[in-house]
Amino acid sequence: MNTKYFKQIWAHLRQDPVVSIISVLGTALSIFLIMLVVMLQQVKVAPFSPESNRSRILYAQYISISNKKWGDGSSNGPMDVKIAKELYKSLKTPEAVTIYSVCTIPAVISIPNSGTITTDALLTDADFWHVFDFRFIKGKPYDQVSFDAAIPSIVMAESMARQLFGNIDIIGKNVEFNYTSYRIVGIVKDVSTLASTAYAQVWVPYTTTSYINNIWCEVGGSFSTAILARSRKDFSAIRTECNQQLAISNKKLSEKGYKILSRNRPYDQEKKTITYGANIEPDINADHRQKIIIFIILLLVPAINLSSMTQSRLRRRIAEIGIRRAFGSTRSKLLKNIITESFIVSLLAGIIGLIFCFAFAYLGTDILFAQPYQSTFCQPTIDTSILMQPATFLYALGFCFVLNLLSSLIPAWRASRINIVNALNGKIK
Amino acid sequence: MNKKLFTQIKNEWHSNLWIMAELLLVSVIMWFIVDYIYVKVSIYEQPRGFDISHCYLLDIDKLSEKSPNYNANLKEETDEVNELINRLQRYPEIEAVSLSHWSYPYDGSNSNCNIACDTMKNDDYIYKRIITPDFFRVFQYRGTRGETPEQLAAMLKNNTFIASGNIFKQKYNIKFSSLIGKQFHFDGDTTTALKLAAAYLPVKYTDYEEAYSAKSVAFLLEKKDQNSKNELCIRVRAKEDKNFIPKLWKDCSKQLRIGNIYISQIRSFSDIRHNYQQIETNDMRNYLFGMGFLLLNIFFGLLGTFWFRTQQRRGEIALFKALGSTQASIFIRLLSEGILLLAIITVPAVIIDWNLAHAELNQAMNGTTLAAPRFIFTIMITFLLIALMIVAGNWFPARKAMKIQPAEALHEE
Repeated sequence: MNTKYFKQIWAHLRQDPVVSIISVLGTALSIFLIMLVVMLQQVKVAPFSPESNRSRILYAQYISISNKKWGDGSSNGPMDVKIAKELYKSLKTPEAVTIYSVCTIPAVISIPNSGTITTDALLTDADFWHVFDFRFIKGKPYDQVSFDAAIPSIVMAESMARQLFGNIDIIGKNVEFNYTSYRIVGIVKDVSTLASTAYAQVWVPYTTTSYINNIWCEVGGSFSTAILARSRKDFSAIRTECNQQLAISNKKLSEKGYKILSRNRPYDQEKKTITYGANIEPDINADHRQKIIIFIILLLVPAINLSSMTQSRLRRRIAEIGIRRAFGSTRSKLLKNIITESFIVSLLAGIIGLIFCFAFAYLGTDILFAQPYQSTFCQPTIDTSILMQPATFLYALGFCFVLNLLSSLIPAWRASRINIVNALNGKIK
Repeated sequence: MNKKLFTQIKNEWHSNLWIMAELLLVSVIMWFIVDYIYVKVSIYEQPRGFDISHCYLLDIDKLSEKSPNYNANLKEETDEVNELINRLQRYPEIEAVSLSHWSYPYDGSNSNCNIACDTMKNDDYIYKRIITPDFFRVFQYRGTRGETPEQLAAMLKNNTFIASGNIFKQKYNIKFSSLIGKQFHFDGDTTTALKLAAAYLPVKYTDYEEAYSAKSVAFLLEKKDQNSKNELCIRVRAKEDKNFIPKLWKDCSKQLRIGNIYISQIRSFSDIRHNYQQIETNDMRNYLFGMGFLLLNIFFGLLGTFWFRTQQRRGEIALFKALGSTQASIFIRLLSEGILLLAIITVPAVIIDWNLAHAELNQAMNGTTLAAPRFIFTIMITFLLIALMIVAGNWFPARKAMKIQPAEALHEE
């Protein structure tokens, strides 16, 4: 590979500007859309603060229960703290287990001599701060002792603190949270709504609220559980342990005719992102199938286009190919040459597509990343730590490669099979 | 002219292979998308059966028992909730206030029930709406016999119920209003019965659900069951609905705090609707993006292919001109070539589309995925959209071709 290569490519591109622009734009468009699909998935599964541990967390968002009397019927929803402790907090394998309210709840917050405002509050335990890595600007989270003692403490997002006080030097001050006085213990950097589990504007210990009293069907309540494993390798061990706990709990519940349905919980991050109802187990295979179909369409349609153009272009270079062959270039070498040439162009187009993709992600965040079934009205925010994932670039490179192979393999193969004499004469057949 | 063109396409089928493969693939996918959008738009346009304009949801919450402000002497939450409703009703801006359980529009939570009258009973999912009578006034439900929301509200008592008029329609093909006055049993319990007082027009679960399959029954939310976990919905008079949330919010920490109960959030129903239907909005966005992508590809493909083709056919075009073709006829000939290609591949495309619909892989509407008018309409729209792109992509090369100077081109030959 040397500069002659690039010079030649550049000369070819300039020879027919219209067709060159079309091929580059076609490739860029394809990579742009493919990378949008990849990015939409990345924001759901890629690690970023405060959900940097996504890859080793298992979630039990909901619980499902049935009763002998109900026939096939079941009741599904968030769980009660007591059963969450019994089923998950008791596990030995995980690094940490946290119990938190299933979604943010609207809460009223105020300071003396100012109006009240509504805020998104998440009710958590002390281990929450271990499972999720918040960036504390001031202070620190509430600990196990103050959680157990139900001391009214509150952690606040930076923007919320500024909205209330105008500054963030407020550790130790009090706010009225749901008309009850809470002591501010920590200020964290704002969290994007894309951190679907950890997002809130304020966080308080659930022991200080009355949500723990909201119980339905013995085990239902208002809470979810996240289990932080030491590594993904522990997932199967954790699941086995979960099933053992479930059997024990079900034995106790059977006296009243109840039975907890497992629905293969807990789920990993990817499966959690496609969980839209508490009453069905999400079908991860169907989701994968759907994504593969989308990728095939996004690759195949432009590939046909590009193939057609590559072929027409090679047809013009037929004499050149003849000379190369006459001077001893083997078919495989020629094939490799043509594919490499077009890969360089694809790569260039891919970079353009990726730049457009990033630009679109920043400018069209609301349209692109609005997540379904959220309890908050806050719009998602995006920053480089969320978007610039190493995996994203690898995906882009991979898709460029595949697209190039799809679009140049057939024409290159055909060009390399042309009879030398015919090729020198400029004849195609 | 067209016969000649057809023969030419036949003779040059080899060079048309790429573009025809692409057209076929795009045509099928485009039809799928057009069909999806057609279904979604048609369903969206069906009457919803309720009206959320000027409606708000008030979230009520209760002080924690651990709060020093908590008043443990207050036992009956119902009284506090009712006092809150009374105070809200005194606002001149507010038209109606209702309490309900898992009932307001665009709420994902629901419960269902089974319903039976004589030997008739339902097979499908019937949503249970447990409401105070004014719920009809807040969301403007209307009766199938022309009852106003006020009349419906007056008819809902503790020994009656009201249901959507389509409950027995598909199964028994009878109007539900013909059963008014009859006793019904619920969930297989034959010891208690409620009298059907009226039927209302079908109420959709969301904008994208068909009225056809949205069936519901409304029961009275009795006083003893009213508490702070219920949903408090209000309708504001249209003329007064300006800056309403901040105005009401000012009173929330004082006049509207009753005993241990307070309002934690006020949301307009248009916001709730927007949030709840985000998944549909996202799907629609994805399909529209996909459609744009396919159309642009057709544009690029045609532009590229015909760009080469006019260069290769310089001699041929010059010959046409020399034999008396006008510039316009050359232009039209090239455009028709693209359209004709599309027409040819539309035949296999329609067969594939028909099979897709027959296999029920597309969206269902009115209980079917394959209805003649819908199928023909979506095929036509697909053809038209792709044809437009073909003309756009072909325009540039065709114009170039018609400017060819016959003498020069033939001289080169």
